[in-house]
Amino acid sequence: MVPTFTWLEGLAWTTALRESPYGYPLLETAHVACIVVFAGLVIMMDLRLVGLAFTQAPVAHIQRRLFAWQMATFVPSTATGILLFCVDPLRYYRNVLFLAKLAFLALAGLNALVFHLKTYRRAEGWDEDPQVIAMGRLAGAASLLLWSLTIVSGRLIPNNWFK
Amino acid sequence: MRTHIFLMLLVAGALCSVQPAQAHHAFAAEYDVTKPLTLNGIITKVDWENPHSWIYMDVKDPKGAVKHWTIETAAPSQMSRYGLKKADFVEGMTATVKGYQGKKDPVLANGRTLILKDGRSFYIGSVGGPNDGAMPH
Repeated sequence: MVPTFTWLEGLAWTTALRESPYGYPLLETAHVACIVVFAGLVIMMDLRLVGLAFTQAPVAHIQRRLFAWQMATFVPSTATGILLFCVDPLRYYRNVLFLAKLAFLALAGLNALVFHLKTYRRAEGWDEDPQVIAMGRLAGAASLLLWSLTIVSGRLIPNNWFK
Repeated sequence: MRTHIFLMLLVAGALCSVQPAQAHHAFAAEYDVTKPLTLNGIITKVDWENPHSWIYMDVKDPKGAVKHWTIETAAPSQMSRYGLKKADFVEGMTATVKGYQGKKDPVLANGRTLILKDGRSFYIGSVGGPNDGAMPH
């Protein structure tokens, strides 16, 4: 992997971005701004699932309204994140907190996938319940926890503990 | 309602307990504010990059042995704000850096002021450093 990362770091555009006075801070800002909106939208859905918000609204109504916005912010969050990695791959690839962030991100994605493909497929029965079925509540709680851990470990990457 | 107020107080308390000194630019975590230093030497390399730049300098210690110092500085945008440019650095040039020594690494320093041979002086300190007057008003 290291030769690939060295090659990536040496490219003209990654070097230019790494040394740029405005491009890099703008990229960082865009990354954080997209995450903030994305996380906010995810949290609203999760709070419904765990029964702390919008309990009178059917889950499907909330899901239908939020999903497109969640995707519209998740895609640029990820794209800017990949760009930030490309700018300085050798700095990140063995940073424990960066790897932890990737692991939490994967788990959060897996949780969302299981919810959408399994639990939510059979939502007709519990969609309007103020307190949804245990699997739904569990998915909401796991999502809140995993996305929080993703954001916190991401925020701690520059501290570079355990190097 | 009472639980809500309790929860809000809990969150507010948790937020207040976050120590700003341990934030991203963790000056206090890596550098010793009680060990200010002045390095006179030859700049061997400069990494003019985000989020922080680095100056590499060969400095003779009191016994005459050359030590290879690594000096952390601010981001390009911050240093540009005080007039410093990437082109101001030429490998092999002599310069003076004032800053603070690393806590664990004895040849690591946090740069605060850079003085070039022509006498020009620049603030190169990163956010979160001590309020030591190095930063121009």
